[in-house]
Amino acid sequence: MFNADTWLPPEASLDQCIKCNICVSYCPVAEATDFFPGPKYAGPQAQRFRMAGQPAPDLSVDYCSGCRVCNEVCPNDVNIMEMNARARAALVAEKGIPLRNRLLGRNELMGKVGSHAPRLANFALHNPVSRVAADAIFGIAKEAPLPRWSTTGTFVDWWEKHYPHRLISDKKVVYFHGCATMYYEPFIGKAAVAVLEHMGYEVIVPPQNCCGLPMLSNGEFKAAGKLYDNNLRKLGPLAAEGYDIVGTSTSCTLTLKEEAPHLLDRHDETTQALTHAVWDIFEWIREHEDELPRDFIQMEMVIPYHPPCQYRAHRVGRPSMDVLALIPGVEVHESHARCCGIAGTYGYKKEKYDIAMKVGQELFSFILEEEEHHHTEFNACDSETCRWQIEHGTGQESRHPIEILAAAYGLYDLETRTTL
Amino acid sequence: MTDLLIIGAGLSGLLAGVWARRQGLRTRIAATGLGATHWHAGTIDALGYLPGEDAPVRSPFAALTRLTAARPGHPYALTGEAGLREALAAFRALLDELGLPYGGAANPDENLLLPSPAGAPRPVYLAPAAQLAGDMSRPEPYLLVGFQALRDFYPTVIAENLTKLGFRSRAEFLPIELITDRRDFSTIDLARAMDSADLSRLANALKRVAAPGERIGLPAILGLRRHGQIIAALREAVGAPIFEIPTLPPSVPGLRLTTVLREHFERDLHGRLDLGMTVIDFRAEAGRVTWVASRASARPVRHRARRFLLATGGILGGGFHSEPRGRVWETIFDLPLTAPQKRSRWFRPDFLAPEGHPVFRGGVRVGPDFRPLTLAGEPAFENLWAAGNLLADSDPISERSLEGVAIATALAAVTSLIKTDV
Repeated sequence: MFNADTWLPPEASLDQCIKCNICVSYCPVAEATDFFPGPKYAGPQAQRFRMAGQPAPDLSVDYCSGCRVCNEVCPNDVNIMEMNARARAALVAEKGIPLRNRLLGRNELMGKVGSHAPRLANFALHNPVSRVAADAIFGIAKEAPLPRWSTTGTFVDWWEKHYPHRLISDKKVVYFHGCATMYYEPFIGKAAVAVLEHMGYEVIVPPQNCCGLPMLSNGEFKAAGKLYDNNLRKLGPLAAEGYDIVGTSTSCTLTLKEEAPHLLDRHDETTQALTHAVWDIFEWIREHEDELPRDFIQMEMVIPYHPPCQYRAHRVGRPSMDVLALIPGVEVHESHARCCGIAGTYGYKKEKYDIAMKVGQELFSFILEEEEHHHTEFNACDSETCRWQIEHGTGQESRHPIEILAAAYGLYDLETRTTL
Repeated sequence: MTDLLIIGAGLSGLLAGVWARRQGLRTRIAATGLGATHWHAGTIDALGYLPGEDAPVRSPFAALTRLTAARPGHPYALTGEAGLREALAAFRALLDELGLPYGGAANPDENLLLPSPAGAPRPVYLAPAAQLAGDMSRPEPYLLVGFQALRDFYPTVIAENLTKLGFRSRAEFLPIELITDRRDFSTIDLARAMDSADLSRLANALKRVAAPGERIGLPAILGLRRHGQIIAALREAVGAPIFEIPTLPPSVPGLRLTTVLREHFERDLHGRLDLGMTVIDFRAEAGRVTWVASRASARPVRHRARRFLLATGGILGGGFHSEPRGRVWETIFDLPLTAPQKRSRWFRPDFLAPEGHPVFRGGVRVGPDFRPLTLAGEPAFENLWAAGNLLADSDPISERSLEGVAIATALAAVTSLIKTDV
């Protein structure tokens, strides 16, 4: 029998590849561009030519968006995406990293800097002149859906005000907000706290930092390792005490749980304790379904829902759909689309923006068809960059499923995104 | 509560999902990934060869008694001729309904012979409508048309081999720009490009190279979403019989088949399909499987269901695993396997031995109700069934029975598990 914790390093898993081409058939990036020949070629096939101390055999691997659709459809458990991520890191080590990718990898720093004067930062970043300049100078696509800083303070600003009024309970859970909730979308965190408290849990918001995913996907493994160590120092003791750590950004939770330890070869006990403590918030709610209050209000809405590729990479099914299905009157329609295209920071890059928009097309069409047939106002998606991309690609507003759940308890206004 | 959890999303898993869902069972499919259809020809091979015989089988049904005499544990011995016929008819009706029609020989008892990607005759029971005009019993001479820079289709090889077999055949090449401007592409990319291509350019080019009376064999790239319309429009514009020949993988006909089944299961029947879920563990109490667990990030996920159907495939599909020194086992429930445990006995010395290799015949033995058996011949678990190429005693490679076994056992297992009160 397999051992549940056994994980083959990607370099070893390439021997499981039988060259069946299923990954090539489903790769959304290879479909959109011939700069990327497909997961089989950039992954297991090129891997045979990658040797320590030898120059990288091909550069096309940089066009892999990291969406993991290849891993999902592979019948033989080959870790293709991880193979590509490591190959990109080797490329970065060999050839260096463009300033643009350095910037995109440092979303936490950007968040922090902008949040000191959010209105100014929003103006500085979002006016057409600076977008054209950023496009020309850095290669950040001028059309790409960059976020806006919260003008009502960060999540932690709110949390400090809420702290004296928080629910005190024997049941406690730790909340990992991530950078996007911290600086851009504090309302996601407020909705999460509202739901967790409604479930009777006391919420703990410990000091924390960026999970490191943007750096991992831009090949900066060393810097990402530092971020992981910092989180380990801050969250490790809570994990060791047995607290569950839940997050609303599904790519952050995946990174803490699996992506960073796998890519960075961290298999020590402290890391394992942390990975076992981390849950995506809906994965955790589904596990605690018997504690979920049923005092829902009748909602009467159709919600087109996209399970992001990063969510599917958790391999836990569709917990958000399972939980939202409990709300009376809510009908969740699944997108069955492969990827929205943005893939973290991929779609922000000038040379990749068009590819990302092409990849997202099947999702955008689904959302627009739903809007036409069911007059939907919102769609839902568990990942922030995907929501921004969906809004950019369709013009329809996107919500985190936790906002919908909070609204179903009458704790949240979906329209204004404020807690009630 | 899930009524049925199917493990495996190959042809048998998907069909079982469709059939169970249509009977009203709350059905989920969990699988590591997608199945062998993607590297097969998209045809339904029921029985092409008998063990040890060189000549292809004319009628799979007439040959059934000789097959089961040689291999008494064969899945067809369990479904019987009636079961095989019923399943193939049900498959055909389903695919008609889903807009991807399949057809066969004029005599519904017999196989067709279709040219393989190497130009050899392939015995096939049902083929996608697009492949039917390749039927080697038809009189028209063959024109095999390839595209420059397409690496996975060799019309000159096909034409030469068909000529050696006595069929009038020749090959032509057309520029790839008729279909796409891409410099790098797979057969799937070409099929997608065909969905939106201007067909008149291709049709005119085909008219220029075709001689009157010829039938035109093209690589199987004639569209994905709009496949039916594309082939009809081309036939009309060119005025000649046009057919597809499967290419090297990725297999467009296989992808079309998987896509219609999967979309029907997920979208029309609201079944849940989860990929990337490798089942690694289970719990049984009092002879019943209570849950299985799949590998996931950080911690395994448990899946509870009333009934479980194992459709994880044979040695290529991932239903078995082996150690370098031998020992081969069924990956989830460690069910007894009929495969030889010593690697030295897996293969015959002759690679192309018409009897096939023993390891490919190895598998899980099931009872007449398609529940896996213990060594003592008792059902291993009250609520566990098995279907597909995981079953013992069929050799899909040398028999050319892969899809027939998948379809017939999927229907038989679903029929059995619905009847059983659990």
